[in-house]
Amino acid sequence: MEAAKKLAGPVVLKAQVLVGGRGLAGGIKFGEDPEEVGKVTSQVLNTLVEGERPSALLVEEKLEVTRELYAGVTYDYQQKRPVVLASSHGGVDIETVARENPADIAERKIDPFKGFSGYQARELAAKIQLTGNELVQYSKILSAIWNIFRKHDAELVEANPLAVLPEGKLVALDAKMNLDDKSILRQSSMLKRIGGIPPSQTGGLEARRARAKELGIPTYIEMQGNIGVVADGAGSGMLTLDLVADYGGKTKVYCEMGGETTSELMENALLAALAVKDLRAVLINLIGGLNLMDEMAKGITSYLRKHPTKIPLVVRMSGTNEDEGRRILTAEGIRWFDSLYEAVEKAVAASRGY
Amino acid sequence: MAILIDRGTRALVQGITGKIGSFQTKLMIEYGTSVVAGVTPGKGGQTVGGVPVYDSIHRAIKETSPEVSICFVPGPYAADAAMEAVDAGLRLVVVVAEAVPLSDAVKMLALASERGSLVLGPDTAGLISPGRSKLGVQPHRLFTEGNIGIVSRSGALSYETAKTLTENRIGQSTVIGLGGGPMWGFTYRDALELFMDDQATDAVVLLGEIGGHLEEEAADYIGKGYPKPVVALIVGRTAPPGQKMGHAGAIVQQGRGAAQDKIAALRNAGALIVNAPREIPGMIKRELHKQPHC
Repeated sequence: MEAAKKLAGPVVLKAQVLVGGRGLAGGIKFGEDPEEVGKVTSQVLNTLVEGERPSALLVEEKLEVTRELYAGVTYDYQQKRPVVLASSHGGVDIETVARENPADIAERKIDPFKGFSGYQARELAAKIQLTGNELVQYSKILSAIWNIFRKHDAELVEANPLAVLPEGKLVALDAKMNLDDKSILRQSSMLKRIGGIPPSQTGGLEARRARAKELGIPTYIEMQGNIGVVADGAGSGMLTLDLVADYGGKTKVYCEMGGETTSELMENALLAALAVKDLRAVLINLIGGLNLMDEMAKGITSYLRKHPTKIPLVVRMSGTNEDEGRRILTAEGIRWFDSLYEAVEKAVAASRGY
Repeated sequence: MAILIDRGTRALVQGITGKIGSFQTKLMIEYGTSVVAGVTPGKGGQTVGGVPVYDSIHRAIKETSPEVSICFVPGPYAADAAMEAVDAGLRLVVVVAEAVPLSDAVKMLALASERGSLVLGPDTAGLISPGRSKLGVQPHRLFTEGNIGIVSRSGALSYETAKTLTENRIGQSTVIGLGGGPMWGFTYRDALELFMDDQATDAVVLLGEIGGHLEEEAADYIGKGYPKPVVALIVGRTAPPGQKMGHAGAIVQQGRGAAQDKIAALRNAGALIVNAPREIPGMIKRELHKQPHC
């Protein structure tokens, strides 16, 4: 409210969330006067965008806009190149424009060794029918977006909508940036500067997700069901989920540890999975190449010694150092399976109380 | 003669002195791979399991003439190391590291395609021609020599499938891991082309997953007429949309990359669809029985 008063005049309120599509979800509202601002403030703050509650509100002056453009840089995964995208059609999802008005988009694939030059930005501006001062401003913005994309190892940087004001000035009304997960090490100083990845405030699920992240679990997903699934490979993990469903079971929580796992991470994955309430069974599918089965067995036994549980743990173990891993499990009285199908069957039966 | 690598293929290991690099080198040598040299900058002159270590590929090439490389260098440095191998003229580089920044990966892949080198990965288990050679991290006990080619994005899913085939007395000619994506050097299509001309391969198993375009590209290729049976499994049928399922490339976004679309594309192209690895042996036996020579 204070911010709105300071701006004195019509304002726009924008929900601060870490997902796209907030405008359509009701996360952006206008307030013409203080009374309306008060009303829409609580509306916006209480709007969930894809299940996420806004962590803050951005209050800005409402601008007169003559038209809306788009400027962005992302990757073309098929061509394995960065691609700079310009469009005379802003304010909507660029994917939608590509589908419905492809002629409104100009793009340039970038040679990663040569980069993106100013003249290429001006060419793109001209291709979307910009002239004069608009062309100059737009191409500078495109170059700036490219520089941000490169400097911060982003997967996507876009200004959308990029508004043209009545006096001819270009202003980004909204911007979005996705960082490349695989560059987090290299970008750690930047992440520290912006205070890390802000924790969301949706409560339960978000807290458990954040906890899994702290524990180093690369993939943590919750669904509707009563079985926990832990896997040490993306493909074998997805196969496990499919088989659980095929056998009539329902997965509640899925933890995938990646192909370079330690005994500590194995233990942590069980900590994360078993933090979920009302599980009837936990299925651990391990088939390791890089992952060493003796290390995995140590992680499982270490967890069980510290946190004895009545929930049945079904272990499937195969792969590098499997003899030693299975020996460790057997010595601790933990039954293991060689066959994935038997393990899935057993876990699903356990989830039904058999 | 197997595709890509065979008995006697001279291999170089980048990052050979690290924990993973040295352990996996030992396993590859045990399996019969001719590891002729290792590279770790600053560790030139040492040996790992009897393999001489060099500071650079340039030096290693002069003295040991490797043809292919497997790179265990960690993510932030992996692409630079792989480019060194490509620049030195090695014909195949396996990039194991999972977290290779995209901005590095595009450079590595661009250089490889310019120089005509093959890059497998990043985030790959590598490849194995059972009984002949292994340039990867597969648990090789699960594999046996035979006539089925396997190509998979996921390493672990290829182990699972090889295990099932081996248990059913069906061996494998070459098993290739493409990597977790979302960008790939070597693709299903590339593998299908090589398996087509490979006399050791009678049928191909394609193991796919949600996200990306590689399976659709493979379907286009198979649909133009592929002379050998292709059995396809797509995992992630029950994965919730919008979630990265462990691989950076395994995500259904805005309705694209869903398992059912990939399954439909492959089925329409003439591939035989299965729901789990254990359905593959029976399918292969039936198909190869139909063929005149088997």
